Amino acid sequence: MNNNTQSMAFDWRGFTGYLPFLVFILMLGYLGYSAPNLLTAESIDLILRQSVPTVVVCLGLAVVVIAGGDDVVSGGIDLSIPAAAVLAAAIIADQLTNHGTAFVPALSMAMCAAMLVGVVNAFLVVRVGMTPLLATLATSVATVGITKVVTASRRINVDHPTIVGLRDNELYGLSVGVLLTMVLVVIFYAAVHRSKWGMNLQAVGGNRDAADISGIPVRRMLAQSFVVASMAGGLASVFILARGSGSSPGSEENLLLEMILATFLGAAFSPRRVVTLWGAVLGAVLVTALSIGFKSIGVNVFWTGCIKGALILFVVATAALATGKK
Amino acid sequence: MNSLLKMVAGVAVGVATLTVSMAAVADGHLSLAGKKVGVAVVGTQHFWDREAFNGAVDTVKKLGGEVVPVDGGRDNQVHADNHDILLTNKVDAVISILGDGAVEPKFEALKDAGIPVFTVDHSSPHAVNNTTSDNYYMGTTIGRYMADSIGGKGRVAIFNAFEGALRICGIRAGLWKYVMQDYPEIEIIQPELAEAFANAPEDARKKTLDFLNQNPKGTVDAIHVGCWDQPAIGIVQALEEAGRTEIKVTALDGGPETLEIMAEDNSPFVANVAQQPNLIGSTAAMNVARHFHGDTLLPQTYVDVMPVNGAEEAKEVYEQLGYGKL
Repeated sequence: MNNNTQSMAFDWRGFTGYLPFLVFILMLGYLGYSAPNLLTAESIDLILRQSVPTVVVCLGLAVVVIAGGDDVVSGGIDLSIPAAAVLAAAIIADQLTNHGTAFVPALSMAMCAAMLVGVVNAFLVVRVGMTPLLATLATSVATVGITKVVTASRRINVDHPTIVGLRDNELYGLSVGVLLTMVLVVIFYAAVHRSKWGMNLQAVGGNRDAADISGIPVRRMLAQSFVVASMAGGLASVFILARGSGSSPGSEENLLLEMILATFLGAAFSPRRVVTLWGAVLGAVLVTALSIGFKSIGVNVFWTGCIKGALILFVVATAALATGKK
Repeated sequence: MNSLLKMVAGVAVGVATLTVSMAAVADGHLSLAGKKVGVAVVGTQHFWDREAFNGAVDTVKKLGGEVVPVDGGRDNQVHADNHDILLTNKVDAVISILGDGAVEPKFEALKDAGIPVFTVDHSSPHAVNNTTSDNYYMGTTIGRYMADSIGGKGRVAIFNAFEGALRICGIRAGLWKYVMQDYPEIEIIQPELAEAFANAPEDARKKTLDFLNQNPKGTVDAIHVGCWDQPAIGIVQALEEAGRTEIKVTALDGGPETLEIMAEDNSPFVANVAQQPNLIGSTAAMNVARHFHGDTLLPQTYVDVMPVNGAEEAKEVYEQLGYGKL
């Protein structure tokens, strides 16, 4: 009888999980109606191109959240991915433009630096036992500081053919950057959802104690998730450089906001309301579409920051409500 | 003789009146009715950017045009991306305010699509016209005023992050240095300081405190900000915190906040050159209308600046620019 009453009652918590998704779809519908050219092939191409750096950093954050669990405070989170990405971009720009280094060695140096950020995160979280939120906030601040040292807080223009090609070239009507990102998404998907490593990662995120008992090296998996995340940050750097034709200081803040918004919005796409790789990718594209939509209909620029902040609050709060304990 | 003078004066007044009224007639013909004008601004955080943006937006509307406003949130890459949104929205013209090298490929794409670009404080080979202050005069005047304020000798520091990244800053800081060549007893402290683009006052405050620790009392005579004045707000705070207000501060832009600081009793902030950002933005919008009217525009339109030397002049200019009374 009791069970019966429960099953008949409206599943409020499940509904809460769908709310961000519903709100975003309604908003997109409204934007598509107000700015009809938002749904043209040209605009969709623009949305995909502009979402590239966000998609790539979201891949990294998704891995950390999947491994650490999606409690916003105590679960897995990595705020330092955008900072690592911007550091890597600065190193590549500095090497290509100021030192005449070839692209591959420059990229290798940048990847090493970005992954070092991940190693420090892993050490702080797994060894020292800091909460990921605080540990990665600290490394983020430090990484931004190192970036300022590398660039002396100045813009570095890049006109290396690889970066320009990534910006301008197309293949089968799609930007090379978008295609490469699709390849990255497939690789990350295969690793997280189709490999033994990925299964273990999900097991650790689902129930750490159970994973431990069944012999999964929990601490090692957690550490690896941070290194993989910073690797995604390192890879995002080339797309950041292509997008800005160089490295301009201060681009990590906006990327951080969009990454958090997109990844947790993406949870609304999964049947269990948890952060997934596909969800994060879709979330990133949706967030970009929304941002372009608002600009296309000429929303007062003084309101856009407010709207973005409110959306993040809404998405994170509903995520907490949907997964929280009664 | 007297009557001749009167006649000359009469003719002069007549010619002047005619010129003014012709300009008024010409402007009366100007219209942006039926035109969609994109206004891209790098950020609206600082007075200058906001006023230039407001001036452009208000004037486009006044001339009957429709505005598509986009704000980069003080992130040069987002600012550059925003031009793509204007391109897909098929605006008739773009007014682009500030921005670094990241916007150049975007201007080129707009030009290729037949959309004329009008810049504010950003010279570009892809723009029809750039509206700006007389940066040459600004750079030399502030150099002379600063040198005078320290008696033509001493050690000076310069915040100079953008000399290489923005042409306007190259002119302002470059000409300041040109003036310094004639003061052999003034030493520019190396390395130069570099301010951040976003949250400049707080960033400059911290950097100045560090700088003061490294350079004890009696070793610094002035701190100059090479291209703008937002950092000067933080510099003055730092000097007051450290009790080092004997160090003179000079900067450029002359927004209301910095004029207020200059007007305070015994302010270390001694010289500035005030710009008219609202008029600059508005002039850029008028230039768009002139372009569509078929007028030929010069590559650069210069808007008058007002040198501000000392507290009394700060009060006068504050009133002249309509900021109120101090």
